[in-house]
Amino acid sequence: MKQGRKREIITKMKSFPSMSGIAAKVLKVLDDPNSSAGQVEQLLKQDPSLTANLLKLTNSAYFGIPSKIGSVRHAIAMMGWKKVTKLVMAACVNAISDQQILGYDLPPGVLWEHSVAVSVTAEGLMRELKIAESDEIFTAALLHDLGKLVLGGFVEKELNKIEEVAARGIPFQMAEQEVLGTDHAEIGALMLESWSFPPRLVSAVRWHHDPDSAPETSSMTDIVHVSNVLCLMIGIGVGVEGLHYEPSVLATKRLGIKPNQLELIASQTLEWAKELTDVF
Amino acid sequence: MKQIVQVGDMAVGVKGDEIVTYALGSCLGLMIYDPVAQVGGMLHAMLPLSKINLEKAENNPYMFVDRGVPILFKEVYGLGGKKERLIVKAAGCGSPMGNNEMFKIGERNYTVLKKMLWKNGVLLKAEEVGGSISRTVYFDMSTGRVTIKSGRQERLL
Repeated sequence: MKQGRKREIITKMKSFPSMSGIAAKVLKVLDDPNSSAGQVEQLLKQDPSLTANLLKLTNSAYFGIPSKIGSVRHAIAMMGWKKVTKLVMAACVNAISDQQILGYDLPPGVLWEHSVAVSVTAEGLMRELKIAESDEIFTAALLHDLGKLVLGGFVEKELNKIEEVAARGIPFQMAEQEVLGTDHAEIGALMLESWSFPPRLVSAVRWHHDPDSAPETSSMTDIVHVSNVLCLMIGIGVGVEGLHYEPSVLATKRLGIKPNQLELIASQTLEWAKELTDVF
Repeated sequence: MKQIVQVGDMAVGVKGDEIVTYALGSCLGLMIYDPVAQVGGMLHAMLPLSKINLEKAENNPYMFVDRGVPILFKEVYGLGGKKERLIVKAAGCGSPMGNNEMFKIGERNYTVLKKMLWKNGVLLKAEEVGGSISRTVYFDMSTGRVTIKSGRQERLL
């Protein structure tokens, strides 16, 4: 029965409108060492509203660029096209996640705020832990809960059963897996895979609740995992499942985080997130 | 008037007001109320000790239990509240599942609160702390009634 349910969910997933086709294309350009800024600009010309949101984000306090940026060309010159690419992703995620998420009991806008908060937390941790800078961490964090957009309707119907299973002391995503045959991390990863996102990103989304089960551990997955739990703890994007997730001891060991580092980042997360979410 | 307390903030009110805070996870929600003067206040603090980020604490003391709690009491005294009449209740201080000490910020928030209250001879009248749930708190300034909503359940504290 669970298998049948999973098939139903995957069918629904396939009918989910693809994130602006541009997102996946831009990501592909980023992943290709031979690509150029001009290609990103060319792609963006196809979507004016996305470009408008991109420029709002570019001018947000989070990036602290003193002069106002008025064009994609200017943005690429000031920030470098890799940073611009990550903001393209943010503009795309805003377009699809700024809605009420059924099942998880997230009012409109909350999943977006959560996605942004996890992204800035992940970047903060990356800097604090002096891990090699990667713009991909921001994108992986932005996308980690994508699966909730599809799974929410199914969670809503089976919430009683899922909560019963979770009440036995089982993390929420495992309870989803037990009742629905899949969970929001797996569905999010399948969506990204079907849009041809880079495998590293897909893996970070797939294992964001269970980084120890990933075939290959990665600091990107570990950071998204830790940042997500931290943001839920401070109440950003916490839904019906509350804090019913289990942070991995091994992930924090692999990253070498100390408790005071986690608290320091927590003290800054709200301000960073606000700088980005205030622009819309 | 209805006031919403954001994370790392506080609000005080008088008869007729309602103070609400959403999504207390590991954060501390502290509610204090004087039933005679019918005044009270609520704090929503995120982290136990301000020494972790002193610059932040200067701009926003309410983010930290050690800085926010004394100001909450002072503000309520300023509205006519009297220490000996205050009813003090705590909510939140939850933790994710498992035994990862690093994520026990909620427990550390609670410990710092208890220590401060004990030093100042203040008792908690009621508390609903811990666990892996998120809590929304409604605080009625006419009656002092504290209602906690968690998921689809609602109860009085």
